[in-house]
Amino acid sequence: MFQLNPLTRKKLARFRSIKRGYWSFLILVFLYLLSLAGELFVNNRALLVSYKNEIFFPTYGEQMSGKDFGLDYEYEVDYRELKKKFIREDSGNWVLMPVVPYGPYEMDYGEEEATGFSPPNLRRSHFCGTDKTERDVLARLLYGFRIAMTFAIGYLVLTYLIAIAAGSLMGYLGGKSDMLGLRFVEIWANVPFLYMVIILVSVMPGGWGVGWQVSSLLIIMVMFSWTGMTYYIRASVYKEKSRDYIAAARVIGASPVRIIFKHLLPNVVSTLVTFAPFTIAAAISSITALDFLGYGLPPPTPSWGELLKQGVSNLRTAPWIVISTVTALVFTLTLVTFIGEAVREAFDPKKFSTYE
Amino acid sequence: MKKSLHLHISLIITACIFLSSCDSPKLKPPREDSSHENQETTEGAGKVDREFARELAREFGREFAIEFARQMKDSSNPINLGFVKDINVTKSMEGILGGDGKVHPLLAHCSEDVLEFYHKHPDCFSISSIDNLPNDLNWQDGSEEQEFASPKAKNGGTWEVFMRDFPRTLRTIGPDANGAFRSYLLDYNVISLVHAHPNSDGYYPGLAKSWAVGRDGKTVYFRLDPQAKYSDGEKVKVSDFFFFFYFMRSKHIQAPWYNDFYGKDKFEKVTLYDEETLSITFYKAKPDVVERVSIRAKPEHFYEELDGEFLSKYQWNPEPTTGAYVALPENVDKGKSVTLVRQKDWWADEKRFFRYRFNPDKIKVSVVRDYNKAFEIFLKGGVDMFGLAKTEFWYDKLPDTHKLVQNGYLSKVTFFNQTPPPSYALRINSQKPPFDNLNIRIGFHHAMNFDMVLEKIFRGDFVRMNTVADGYGARSHPTLKARKFSIEKALEHFAKADFKERGGDGILVNSKGERLSIELLTGYRHFEDVLVVLKEQAKKAGLDLKLKVLEPTAAWKAANEKNHQVIFSAFNSFVELFPRFWEPYHSDNAYQEVGDSKFEEDGSLKPNLTTKVSTNNFTQTAVREIDHLINKYRNEEDLGKITKMAHQLSQMIHDHAVWVPAWKKPWLRIGHWNWVKFPEDWGPKETRDYEEFQVFWIDEVEKDKILKAMDAGVSVTEQPTVVIYDNYKNN
Repeated sequence: MFQLNPLTRKKLARFRSIKRGYWSFLILVFLYLLSLAGELFVNNRALLVSYKNEIFFPTYGEQMSGKDFGLDYEYEVDYRELKKKFIREDSGNWVLMPVVPYGPYEMDYGEEEATGFSPPNLRRSHFCGTDKTERDVLARLLYGFRIAMTFAIGYLVLTYLIAIAAGSLMGYLGGKSDMLGLRFVEIWANVPFLYMVIILVSVMPGGWGVGWQVSSLLIIMVMFSWTGMTYYIRASVYKEKSRDYIAAARVIGASPVRIIFKHLLPNVVSTLVTFAPFTIAAAISSITALDFLGYGLPPPTPSWGELLKQGVSNLRTAPWIVISTVTALVFTLTLVTFIGEAVREAFDPKKFSTYE
Repeated sequence: MKKSLHLHISLIITACIFLSSCDSPKLKPPREDSSHENQETTEGAGKVDREFARELAREFGREFAIEFARQMKDSSNPINLGFVKDINVTKSMEGILGGDGKVHPLLAHCSEDVLEFYHKHPDCFSISSIDNLPNDLNWQDGSEEQEFASPKAKNGGTWEVFMRDFPRTLRTIGPDANGAFRSYLLDYNVISLVHAHPNSDGYYPGLAKSWAVGRDGKTVYFRLDPQAKYSDGEKVKVSDFFFFFYFMRSKHIQAPWYNDFYGKDKFEKVTLYDEETLSITFYKAKPDVVERVSIRAKPEHFYEELDGEFLSKYQWNPEPTTGAYVALPENVDKGKSVTLVRQKDWWADEKRFFRYRFNPDKIKVSVVRDYNKAFEIFLKGGVDMFGLAKTEFWYDKLPDTHKLVQNGYLSKVTFFNQTPPPSYALRINSQKPPFDNLNIRIGFHHAMNFDMVLEKIFRGDFVRMNTVADGYGARSHPTLKARKFSIEKALEHFAKADFKERGGDGILVNSKGERLSIELLTGYRHFEDVLVVLKEQAKKAGLDLKLKVLEPTAAWKAANEKNHQVIFSAFNSFVELFPRFWEPYHSDNAYQEVGDSKFEEDGSLKPNLTTKVSTNNFTQTAVREIDHLINKYRNEEDLGKITKMAHQLSQMIHDHAVWVPAWKKPWLRIGHWNWVKFPEDWGPKETRDYEEFQVFWIDEVEKDKILKAMDAGVSVTEQPTVVIYDNYKNN
């Protein structure tokens, strides 16, 4: 949309040179992409099934019933059982399972002693153990990460959109609209965020599926947290607005829309970028906290908060839940914080101030 | 506070002076000897003054009114307000319950407001003579029943328990009184007229030493135990049972539920015969009428009368009790603990059925907000007993191999009891599509895999509930069984309702392209895992369950407004002789239209009926035949016929398929330190809660021994102490 100015490009180069932050960024992006393709690594559906010389790819797409593979039931086929059966029969059919052959919702009650809280077990491929209802902790961690990250990115984009719109309007128009807008923001910011979310979530009608519930939770959270950024945007816009190049643009006859988008925003954006990683961290923490309290995503959606809660109440008897969840949480938040620090350093105005 | 009181006083004084100067007859003192007739003629004087004084006392409390009168006397503008003492002293001319214009001696101590209340409801409160007592009464005194406490019990020690929240009041009624702590003050403690025997169908005496059911089947006569007294030394009087209704029907207690429960339409009449004989008449003859009218005594001498100050005045000032344990304000450590102390010479100490019970000298109830933390405190010995019903506590957190159990310091006890279980079930709203179709409801029953829940989540310790009225002895249907999880049967019934094809996600779709998707609401976050299992298993039968877990109150509200499709919930059941069907299954609790007017000729429901909200009919059951049978059942007085009808009703509701029974636990499971001792059979069979009958005792010698052994790290038993009491196990 808009070209990066040489200054910004310089800043990005500087970011790349800060090794810790840059690598953290790469790792986080890699992990997120990995989680987006999570079905290929952690899933109860097989990657490949060869049945009667025909190859099936059940991972994505419609579910296949037991009858499709010569079993006597109509519901979704249990690929792990199918694999065992094919090996027993030894008739040339085979199944290739992912590394972790469990889905995030699936309860592995197959074995006699499996009654919840099984410790990590390599034989059963539960690398991080299982939770109360015998679901694989690693699978829930991975899908929980995917949801938390997507949620955080959505949160970032939406809050910034609103904050930029409101902030630049206030800053650019100034005067009365600035005064009124700012008062509104101040009042809105004083609505207690957590309570509002809790109240709204508890009265939210369900029944429209998980996707809808997740997005409505997102919207509720955005509604009460966009205010923080407007102050910074407004201030930067004020600062940039009084510069000569804006005056020049105005003299030439550029429209306000053009001035805002073409001239102001590219220069304001550097302020935003420094905040972005911390917003992501805040979003991950709040969705985890809400889930921990039970006001977040509807069950049985995989979530870190829910895992943490289980872990904390079974601290002595099932420590693997807390250990893996806390490790994952700390690791992710550390990566994000490293990125944030690096961005801040790279975008530090003291390094690149130019005097007119 | 004080300042505002003064402000009030001065405002009222001003108002009064103003009024007085306008209306001079008011200044006249009332005539103390005035009779009823006189009262009429001096309407303008005494009565107005007294009304005003009473109004004052009602609104601001009697102390205030007296203070007011005192101030008036001292003021520079002396107005004779001698009437204020009337509130206490004068036996009102209106109180003519004795019939001869004088207050009956039994009510001689009553305050004016109380007398007036009795006077206003002559059909509820009556005084009769002992000669009028029917002479064909069959008096019972419970002497044929067995005691259920152990003579081995020792007095002494402190029983340490925990509560999750500090009680917000020591009142047992009114706002905030319904907390967990109230049980220690009231339910486990205070003595009623008569108690249901927890090991048999009989009764044992409490405040009444004997009782008899009248010929009408709805009046019960009681003779008070002359020794019965409150913790402040006052005797229990017959008039306290009059006062009980004055109290329970008062608006000042701010407890509408109690106002209603003890209302006139349930309790028709109380009659006093002499100083120790009274009768209470229930609205209807019932086989269990004795226990229904067996109320507790309210200490009239303590309250005298109620006024607008009730809540604040008694917030931390508990009433004297007939029970063994007393809460004294000085034993309240606000925010931390409340210690109840046993009375030194409790009146019931030597009574059969009360001796060897209530053994510890003190009960210390401390606040521990977190359940898991309370468990850790229990393991350290800071709490004497801990409920271990939860599977993970029983198997994982305190397994039999735990060293405290292995060394014999702690016991794990399973006690099989016989009580109506809380009715855990999925309640289907039969009004909401697609559940208006019987086949969908039956299919839904077969799609719920409770077998797996019982086996995996509860590890086989819970059993399936089978009927809507389990646990009522002979009144429970003997052979009816809950529908089993069966994918074939579920699919078969769904197919009959046009859900034949599976969509790409494995969920059934009908010919209109609608998915078979149901929202399951609950307020029980702690049973989320159960619902998750049901959801995953229902997928196999092509049913999509959407779980919605709300705060308990929010879920309750949604169900009360009948906005749910299915709710997972439970009602608490009480130990009663026979189950209730009207509240949850009668069509009058489903729709506002009354009786049969909601049905067409053929018995089907008319269109456009108005849903009735805030009733317990969560299933919106409205079936004409069920209605008719419930009506008959409610009016029946013969236990044999009641039993038969209860079976029929259970069957009909089963056939209507609106209630998926979940589970019941046929036992109590607790862990306790071994210095807590129990009788040989552990407790009576109707024990619902280990604290309920207080038959245990604390052995301080043993406590010393165990603590020393723990320090030394040696065991005190050879066997790990895991005990099962299955005397009362069914089947």
